[in-house]
Amino acid sequence: MSDGELAIPFRQRAGSALKDAFLQEALTIATTKFIDLRREAFEDFPEGEALRDRARAIKEATRQRLDHYLEALIANIERLGGHVHYAKTSEEARAIVVDIARRTGARMAVKSKSMATEEIHLNEALEHAGITPVETDLGEYIIQLAHERPSHIIAPAIHKTKGQVADLFGREFKRRVEADPEVLTKIARDELREKFLQADLGITGANFAVADTGTVVLVTNEGNGRMVTSLPRVHVAVMGVEKVVPSLTDLMVFLAILAKSATGQKLSVYTTLVRGPRRAEELEGPDEFHLVLLDNGRIAQLGGPLREALSCLRCGACLNVCPVYQQIGGHAYGYTYPGPIGILLTAMLEGPRSVRDLAHASSLCGACADACPVRIDIPRMLIALRREVDEKKIAPWVERVAFTLLARLLTRPALYRLAARSGRVLQRPFASEGTISRLPVFLNDWTRTRDLPAVAARTFQERWAAEQGRTQ
Amino acid sequence: MTTKGEFLASIRAQMRTARDLFPASVAKRPEHPAAEADTIRRELAERWPAILERFRVEFERVGGVFYRVTSLDEVPAVVGRLAREREARGLVAWHAAALGADLAPALEARGLDVHEMPAGETAAAERERLRAITAGADVGLTGVDLAVAETGTLILVSGAGRPRSTSLLPPCHIAVFDRTALVESLGQVGVFLEAWHRDGAPPATGAVITFITGPSRTADIELTLTRGVHGPKEVHAIFVEQGIRG
Repeated sequence: MSDGELAIPFRQRAGSALKDAFLQEALTIATTKFIDLRREAFEDFPEGEALRDRARAIKEATRQRLDHYLEALIANIERLGGHVHYAKTSEEARAIVVDIARRTGARMAVKSKSMATEEIHLNEALEHAGITPVETDLGEYIIQLAHERPSHIIAPAIHKTKGQVADLFGREFKRRVEADPEVLTKIARDELREKFLQADLGITGANFAVADTGTVVLVTNEGNGRMVTSLPRVHVAVMGVEKVVPSLTDLMVFLAILAKSATGQKLSVYTTLVRGPRRAEELEGPDEFHLVLLDNGRIAQLGGPLREALSCLRCGACLNVCPVYQQIGGHAYGYTYPGPIGILLTAMLEGPRSVRDLAHASSLCGACADACPVRIDIPRMLIALRREVDEKKIAPWVERVAFTLLARLLTRPALYRLAARSGRVLQRPFASEGTISRLPVFLNDWTRTRDLPAVAARTFQERWAAEQGRTQ
Repeated sequence: MTTKGEFLASIRAQMRTARDLFPASVAKRPEHPAAEADTIRRELAERWPAILERFRVEFERVGGVFYRVTSLDEVPAVVGRLAREREARGLVAWHAAALGADLAPALEARGLDVHEMPAGETAAAERERLRAITAGADVGLTGVDLAVAETGTLILVSGAGRPRSTSLLPPCHIAVFDRTALVESLGQVGVFLEAWHRDGAPPATGAVITFITGPSRTADIELTLTRGVHGPKEVHAIFVEQGIRG
């Protein structure tokens, strides 16, 4: 989705998603399947629960000494002959990558799937500089051809049917294409194989970077991560600062739970551990290796209320189990990172104003926290975010006034009793069979999508008092 | 542009104000990983058949094809048959020193067009030529540095005579290994990785360590599993009972 669409309010974006029958079916199939695969993977893995605790502890311990681990990572990468760059904002990150591309005379860049480069809108910047970016993950390739954005962290094109993909390929390659995943995959393989062999620049994200060894770790299923880090003469990895892990021993803890949470695999097909540029005795590998460390709002949260979200591994498990994501899909959220964790990351990267509506796009059911491989307490932070949105007067004034009044009412028993009595009278024109389906004037915002229970004929307090009177 | 100093200073400034969410520590690393790796090897040497069986089950589960032969002499026959069935001719192979054996003559005798990768430093033009040959080859033949039973994973270290592309560009990857490569779990892999980095001898000194768990796959179109999207469509592992290096 283009940023222009953010002009459309969240409620409308969600509304159109709910009416999109294709999307609804695709979401049901995808999220159900991912949930099953994840459950089966952990059922067969009794040590999984203990490993999740360890992974969570490692992330927290690393955050507590982040400067130390980043310094070690930087020193080790430079010792290997690699270069490290520092980007405070997405503009800086884009400028760094474009500059490397220009300096090395690159004309085409092959990319393996990376949320960080989505986050900084790198492709537009490369195109603007006359460098052709080619997404090589099949899902990303599809959405690049369709000029869209990913709708799921690990399955970016789940909102597309094979028929839609066939139409897209047909238009792109000017021939009739059969709507068969096998055929479509073959076409993409052939197209992209040429690009891998021609490209001057390989751009990746990083799932992890190991401080102790200067290793950048990429996890893929298709093998594009290997291609991109082996064939072009320059490799640039763009990584959020929170992705550093202390040692190879720590890395193995994360690898043991990452793929299980994402796709239910014990490991993804390829885990690639890259240490700097090609060695003299090697046949392939880049002559130049660059790591771009990305802040973009992360550092300000190192001690902030959203800091726990910095533990996120980007596995997508919380999306699949979220009743809101299951209904509206990724695009309705409107930003790079969808789903429950996406709301927190959006607040972190774009500021609290960006989540005025999104902060409420959660039922706080807690399924996300249960599914998270590192047990991030997402509901707790969503509540903190709602409070912030209210305190900073970002929430609409009607909402703020209504909830301030409600808070007064709920903390003053006499007022509460009075309100219950008057509510019973005032609701008469609107209530039927114990529910209110339509409130008048601006209050109808509340009842547009849900019923309000009517005030009971006798409140609990009144019944309690009556019962006490009877037994005494 | 932000400098390293400014960047780290901004992190430290935040950390001074940060409170810990909870007391936490990183994973405990092995103190003498090379010695621990040796202990693991010795311990596994006594019960390798069970570990191998678990590897076979997991490797097949992820779509790999497993073979077991008695001696190295039987490997060319397996490779030759696979090539014949696929009408494959072009085979790229790791250097004999990296494979642990010179299989080229026996493979050529079976009608294969064998390109053995050089083990020393190579000029840029020659590297280009070898890349084109690899990109056009039907089969890639490699060794294995660790075979992980828990996940059915093959771990390959890049370096002299062991290009990354041999297991990546050809549509069919065949890997030859013996019991010295077998380990049980990802935790044990961690010990070996630490040992290679710190106090033990790594199998090679290239820039990349690759974990391969089955053939290349994608499920990006309607979650339909499809094999061989960028990497090999097939992965075969041949276990040599008597060992590769005699």
